Amino acid sequence: MRLFVRAALYLGLTLAAITFIYPFLWMLSSSLKPPFEFGTLALIPGSITLDNYRIMWSRAPFGRALANSVLVAGTITAAVLVLSSMTAYAMARLRFPGRRALNAATLAVLLVPGQLTLIPLYTLIVQLGWIDTYAALIVPYLCNATAILMLRQFFLQIPQSLIDSARMDGMGELRILFTIFWPLARPPLAIVAIFTFMGSWNEVLWPLLVVRDQQTMTLPQLLTVFALGGGAGTLGVSLAASMVLVVPVVVAYMFLQRYFIESMAGAGVKG
Amino acid sequence: MPAVSFDHVCKRFGETRIVEDFDLHVEAGELLVLVGGSGSGKSTILRMAAGLEAVTSGSIRIDDRDITRLAPRQRDVAMVFQDYALYPHMSVRDNLSLGLRLRKVPRPEIERRVRWAGGMLGIDALLDRKPKQLSGGQRQRVAMGRAMVREPLLFLFDEPLSNLDAGLRAQMRIEIGALQRRLKTTTIYVTHDQVEAMTLGDRIVVLADGRIQQVGRPIDLYRSPQNRFVAGFIGTPPMNFMDGSLESENGRAAFVADGVRVELPAERITALAGSEPRTLGIRPEDLRIAAGSGSLTSATDAPWRGRVVLVERLGGTSHVHFDVGPHRLLASVSGESVPEVGDVVDVQVLPARVHLFGADGRV
Repeated sequence: MRLFVRAALYLGLTLAAITFIYPFLWMLSSSLKPPFEFGTLALIPGSITLDNYRIMWSRAPFGRALANSVLVAGTITAAVLVLSSMTAYAMARLRFPGRRALNAATLAVLLVPGQLTLIPLYTLIVQLGWIDTYAALIVPYLCNATAILMLRQFFLQIPQSLIDSARMDGMGELRILFTIFWPLARPPLAIVAIFTFMGSWNEVLWPLLVVRDQQTMTLPQLLTVFALGGGAGTLGVSLAASMVLVVPVVVAYMFLQRYFIESMAGAGVKG
Repeated sequence: MPAVSFDHVCKRFGETRIVEDFDLHVEAGELLVLVGGSGSGKSTILRMAAGLEAVTSGSIRIDDRDITRLAPRQRDVAMVFQDYALYPHMSVRDNLSLGLRLRKVPRPEIERRVRWAGGMLGIDALLDRKPKQLSGGQRQRVAMGRAMVREPLLFLFDEPLSNLDAGLRAQMRIEIGALQRRLKTTTIYVTHDQVEAMTLGDRIVVLADGRIQQVGRPIDLYRSPQNRFVAGFIGTPPMNFMDGSLESENGRAAFVADGVRVELPAERITALAGSEPRTLGIRPEDLRIAAGSGSLTSATDAPWRGRVVLVERLGGTSHVHFDVGPHRLLASVSGESVPEVGDVVDVQVLPARVHLFGADGRV
């Protein structure tokens, strides 16, 4: 009986896993198929070809877009980690007038939907003359309320005596943040890094608004323009472009997954 | 080694007074213990000396140097924390040397000091371990080592033994005392444990509600407490107290409380006037008890009659709790002949050893 339950459990989990992984594998395999094989749901291509990737690369500046995406998402992620952790440290561990108000304001920012700020932000960018610049893509995302609140929550749990001890050892606040708090906060920092990177990497709407020059476009934006504009021609080329979009995120996740799982698991059993 | 002076130091958080008029001189090389219950302000005083807490008014000096407004790192003071506060992601070696590296001490000198402290504390084999791979006692030693390698002007200990089990605490207490005598570094040690205070301190400062209650050598505090708080705080088991009044007849005086009378020697009452309410204090070891009636030959008074309600046998000594009229008293009894619960006992007081406190709690 127990064996039966166990077998049923594994069957259920396997089905769920297949449901999630199949579309991705199909996308990977189809991007390697010649056009006449697209109709099938089979995962193993009859013949393998890199033509889809070659066509994609020749029709639009995808190399440039990939570099743009890395630059934009990388800069945003690094900035969010540094700036949000500095803000979170101040909010969690320093005493200053207005600290409570700052906490409330940060929380309030979370309640404002992104779509609502889109138009005012766009007007601002136009007035600053930042249309078609990297600044338009990067600056609005440099700081992030979710990241601040998440790191603040973690920083609150670090014992005060550790800060005191570091101050007595001769550290200033910035050094305490980066040499004591950062190593201890690796799991939440990894989560912030992954979510920020993914969010920025997949962003389409904002780049579509502020960038029209192909040379400044990010990968998902170029892909959208490319696919919707009919530039791709075949499904295979679209899928090949999507693979180029997905792979960096998967790679980043593989690097950080240890901390990611640690942090998710630790969230329930903080001891 | 320098001396440390606190000059009328006060600390307030808004309207709340944490420390009031703390005025004290710590001698060079002295081990001074601040003792008091929670909320007495002892840790705040230590943190003000460390620079971790701002002083509201007054000043703190190390010798002639005013350190009141200096940042912690400018004070040349080292502190051992209650929870050790070791950096969890760094090895023992890095924990010990970080403060020196930040002060740009030359590398060979850092190595020398780490080896010196490691050898002195018996942690030289643990230098490459992380704090979580150490036992509580070892972590405690590393925390002390971290303070030692700095070779500071002043050591501050903030209840360093309170996270250790009883056996280890006794051992570390002895080690800290020995270490301090060897290094001769001026030390302020905060504890709520009066046994630690009595055994470690050259002098003890008893604090309550942010105010100094008494300063003195441990034995002086024990023998001559200046007020009821100190009398009750110093000594285990604690002193017995009875509220009553003074009566004088024919030039003789006695303390009287419900069913209890103690004749007082003349020299004890000269300073005490009238029959305003008084409190009598008796240390548990100054009460003699004997089973049955009439077996104690009374020195001065007729013995009191008490009924035993609880006996705690500790081995060498026993704590006998008994009721005399409405008063619940505790006697510390050594030896084999210990009464049983329910026994009626004769209780004798040595009048020369009683303590009298006025209505304001003072002697």
